[in-house]
Amino acid sequence: MLKKIFTWWEGATIGTALHSWRNGSKVGSDSLGNIYYEGKKDGRRWVIYAGENDASAVPPEWHSWLHKQIDGLPDDVLPPVRAFEKPGTRNLTGTDAAYRPSGALEKGGQRQAATGDYEAWTPN
Amino acid sequence: MPKVKVDGIEVEVPVGATVMQACEAAGKEIPRFCYHERLTIAGNCRMCLVEVKPGPPKPQASCALPASDGQEITTMSPAVKKAREGVMEFLLINHPLDCPICDQGGECDLQDQAVAYGRGHSRFAENKRAVTEKYMGPVVKTIMTRCIQCTRCVRFAEEVAGVEEIGAIYRGENMQITSYLEGAVTSELSGNVVDLCPVGALVSKPYSFEARPWELSKVPGIDVSDGVGTNIRIDSRLREVMRVVPRISEEVNEEWAHDKTRHMVDGLTRNRLDRPWVRKGGKLQAATWEEAFDAIAKVAKKAGDSVAAVAGDLVDVETMYAAKKLLASLGSNLIEGRQTGLAYDATNIAAVNFNTTIAGIETADAILLVGTNPRWEASLVNTRIRKAVKKGAKVFAIGPEVDLTYPVEWLGNDMSLLAKLPKAAADAMTKAERPAMIVGGSALKVPGGQAASLALVDSLNLIRGDWNGYNVLHTVAARTAGLMLGYALAGGMAALAEKAPKLLFLLGADEADLSPFDKSFKVYVGHHGDKGAHGADVILPGAAYTEKHGIYVNLEGRVQYSERAIFPPGDAREDWSIFRALSAVLGKPLPFDSFGELRTALFAEYPAFAEAGLVRFDWAPPALKAEAIAQGTEVAYPIKDFYLTNPIARSSPTLRRCSAEILHGEDFAEAAE
Amino acid sequence: MLADKDRIFTNVYGFQPWNLKAAQKRGDWDNTKALMALGQDQIIEEIKNSGLRGRGGAGFPTGMKWSFMPKESKDGRPNFLVINADESEPGSCKDREIIRHDPHKLIEGALIAGFAMRARAAYIYIRGEFIREAETLFAAVQEAYDAGLLGKNAAGSGYDFDVFVHRGAGAYICGEETALLESLEGKKGQPRLKPPFPAGAGLYGCPTTVNNVESIAVTPTILRRGAAWFKGFGRENNHGTKLFQISGHVNKPCVVEEAMSIPFRELIEKHAGGIRGGWDNLLAVIPGGSSVPLVPAKEIMDAPMDFDGLRALGSGLGTAAVIVMDKSTDIVRAISRISYFYKHESCGQCTPCREGTGWMWRVMERLRTGDADIGEIDTLLDVTKQIEGHTICALGDAAAWPIQGLVRHFRPEIERRIIEKQGGALEAAE
Repeated sequence: MLKKIFTWWEGATIGTALHSWRNGSKVGSDSLGNIYYEGKKDGRRWVIYAGENDASAVPPEWHSWLHKQIDGLPDDVLPPVRAFEKPGTRNLTGTDAAYRPSGALEKGGQRQAATGDYEAWTPN
Repeated sequence: MPKVKVDGIEVEVPVGATVMQACEAAGKEIPRFCYHERLTIAGNCRMCLVEVKPGPPKPQASCALPASDGQEITTMSPAVKKAREGVMEFLLINHPLDCPICDQGGECDLQDQAVAYGRGHSRFAENKRAVTEKYMGPVVKTIMTRCIQCTRCVRFAEEVAGVEEIGAIYRGENMQITSYLEGAVTSELSGNVVDLCPVGALVSKPYSFEARPWELSKVPGIDVSDGVGTNIRIDSRLREVMRVVPRISEEVNEEWAHDKTRHMVDGLTRNRLDRPWVRKGGKLQAATWEEAFDAIAKVAKKAGDSVAAVAGDLVDVETMYAAKKLLASLGSNLIEGRQTGLAYDATNIAAVNFNTTIAGIETADAILLVGTNPRWEASLVNTRIRKAVKKGAKVFAIGPEVDLTYPVEWLGNDMSLLAKLPKAAADAMTKAERPAMIVGGSALKVPGGQAASLALVDSLNLIRGDWNGYNVLHTVAARTAGLMLGYALAGGMAALAEKAPKLLFLLGADEADLSPFDKSFKVYVGHHGDKGAHGADVILPGAAYTEKHGIYVNLEGRVQYSERAIFPPGDAREDWSIFRALSAVLGKPLPFDSFGELRTALFAEYPAFAEAGLVRFDWAPPALKAEAIAQGTEVAYPIKDFYLTNPIARSSPTLRRCSAEILHGEDFAEAAE
Repeated sequence: MLADKDRIFTNVYGFQPWNLKAAQKRGDWDNTKALMALGQDQIIEEIKNSGLRGRGGAGFPTGMKWSFMPKESKDGRPNFLVINADESEPGSCKDREIIRHDPHKLIEGALIAGFAMRARAAYIYIRGEFIREAETLFAAVQEAYDAGLLGKNAAGSGYDFDVFVHRGAGAYICGEETALLESLEGKKGQPRLKPPFPAGAGLYGCPTTVNNVESIAVTPTILRRGAAWFKGFGRENNHGTKLFQISGHVNKPCVVEEAMSIPFRELIEKHAGGIRGGWDNLLAVIPGGSSVPLVPAKEIMDAPMDFDGLRALGSGLGTAAVIVMDKSTDIVRAISRISYFYKHESCGQCTPCREGTGWMWRVMERLRTGDADIGEIDTLLDVTKQIEGHTICALGDAAAWPIQGLVRHFRPEIERRIIEKQGGALEAAE
């Protein structure tokens, strides 16, 4: 409740929620729970995130709808999802799952094999 | 001496020279693929065409045409240019576009000659042909689609290696080079076809996809895998030796190197000693240099002059000299190099040297082999003997029968034959103009063997004027240098065991039987963790042959210099510096502080090492008591497994696989690439 | 027109038996001793004077070839005569007729020629595909041995001479003399480099002469009837009689012995019953086996059929295998099939032939259907010039010439196909 009043980075603010209720019609939602709205009068398109307001949380098909690259809804206009397509992921920068090259301390400090590596002898 | 004109330049060439050699004498480069100086002329690539007047109106293959007086040769006319462009175009039409993934890129004759003599663009609009890959063993990788059918590998395998295992099948554009039965090529020289192949059809399997030639630093070195002292070029990238290829040396190895030389190098990154170890409570534990030296100093104080050193097979002159000086400062001269126990009389080095010289043996017309298998013990001496046989020499041999790649008359595995040679052999040797005898280690092991072989020098008249036909074949790179430095006790290792030294230094000695030295405190100074390291009390990590400058003397007494390619790994140091540091800890510092000073001191005491080249030892054989050899005394050749004769080779996965597959017939599934 | 009395091969059609008795009735082996008594050098002189040129295709003067052989052996190496019965040239079938119908002419000729060149023995290399012919030849040689005509004191002349018959295994390239020697020695039939020439180092490294069957088979008759008689036929430098093999679009294809330099028209009219469909229906002729370029109708009509006459037309007499093509022939397809033959028969040793014959055939196939650019005709011509003269043996030249002949005389036909394929409009050549 306090979050809703004092923060603007978690889901919709009060003003946004109000605007969505008055001028927006809900057109759909995606697998992550974000809800997509289209303006009744002016045809604007926006999303209200489930959780943090992270633009990279919008999956690719809804991204094209959001940016007016397609006219209709993704389910109607885009070709069906193929078996080999993986689901979209958010931007992982700053999280624990961020990419680190081999040899990084975060990855245990083991670098790739390089020229000059040798196997040392041990008595056992 | 015919005189010919090449592009207006007059040159005189020796009788029997070809037009190609005349052109090269005049400084004109002639492109070629199938021609090789050390193989027979094939003349089938047609790249060396030049115009010759007088002659037919069409261009002639210069590699095959003998140069005769008065010829006028044109190498740069439009017709010759068109011929070269035409042949290059034909070679490229079926050649796959593999340059980016081909190991030969950067050192490829086809690339170089296409740039220099080709047309520059292709007019070929058909499909290219493809050829299946053939299996030729763990050393040679084949991508036969790239083959341009120059037949160099076919001629090498037949003429030099003596195994007729590679040939061409089918006809016309379906012609393929294959070993047909697709087994491993059984020759120990099989790696040379990789150098010979002008394109990337035959490449080195362990080296495939590893490096490009322009990335590599190239350093001239000397190989230590056998006594021949093959001149090599060590190619390294940053801190790793990527490969070893032979250098041209007319006197030693011509242009060849056997598989052990080439593929030992992947043992250089395995089983390395990179830090000192000290045995505490029966178990070896990693230690620092100070701790190791302190442990040795403790023993040295009590040992006094009961110190000994055994030199291994791969050590260089500087190491042996430094060790010898260290022992001398402690009052000892118990140094021995023949770690397998041979105890022949080494007082006169000429009497245990390959006196005919490696290049000289190819001019011999009768050869007697006594207890030696030159194909395994010194493969590049064997190729010279093979050349002599092709020129008509007769070879007799005493010892167990093996396939030497040339016809040999086997007299039997009976050392008593030394005293009574069969008449046919004795006659052939005495009647020959340049007879030679090669005595191997297994013969010298027999009591009375050395005396009996020396007796044959006079009875067969082996020394005539400049020609000395008495040869002893050493299998080990460090032998001759060791003998020159005095690493030989009367009685060999047995005598050393009797002396029961309290402190024993092992300079990379892994072939010795150390059970008589149970009570000695053993210090192993070497680079690989092999048998010697396992039994040692202190291990001091040294440098391998690619990691230090060194002087080596090969089996014919040729002093050769090797250079360092990379630095030793981890905490290892150069061996001479280990002895210098140890001498300081022992309180008797050696008189040299740098490598240069060591060499100065070495050359002052042993001037023979100062210049690279053949050392002429005075022939003064010891007067040995003749000892009767019982009839039926058999010998066995010292090398049981050609591919695993030194610790570096034993650590090399390539050579272990060669041994398993070629010598022991194990099957290997080929990994799909 | 050659009169019957002047014909050398009196049994070329096999109406009579080939065996020794029948051959002797026809005049073979008649007092061979006296012929050999003429003396070795005299025999070579007679053959030189007769103007006989090699009948295997190259047309090198036979007497001169025999005179290259060493008169005495300085180093113990014997001389050898090798007879090339590997008749694989497309269009040639004359040696087959000689071997299966008149083998004793060949065997007697081998003895006399071998004697003249101081040879120790003759080897007859017969192509592997000749199974029945080889049986006949083996039997004929055996007959000669049994009658004492070969072997020790051959034909009572005091000269020891052996004849060996060796069967090939199906390769056109083994008709090339050095490849033949390699095959005889048991190795792969890949030609050797020349120099050294077989007269210096040939079979087993010994001085050798390789001659065609017909060249050897006419030798006894020349010696019997005299060089002047033989010289009486044909023009200057092109003397004697020749077995012409006429095949293709004629009314009566046949093998016929005629005088050299006979005009083409006469040859076809008299012996082959004229061109199928009349003389206006003639398109082109390959006068000497597939290795020589074709000659278009207009030029061949009255040309003398001999070495020089046809060389003047840019072709050659070759083996005199006359392949006649009328206007129903798809000439491009014909030459393409010939290119395929050379691709198939290339030994693979030298680069231009190994790679080039396959390339030329593939381009010819595309030209046949018109799937090419106009500019590719000149590229193809250039490629043939790159092969010609740059190979170890003459198969490269033989592969290049037919295509050169086609482009020289029938370029418009090739261009027509390309234009047709491209839809009528001539695309700008690149």
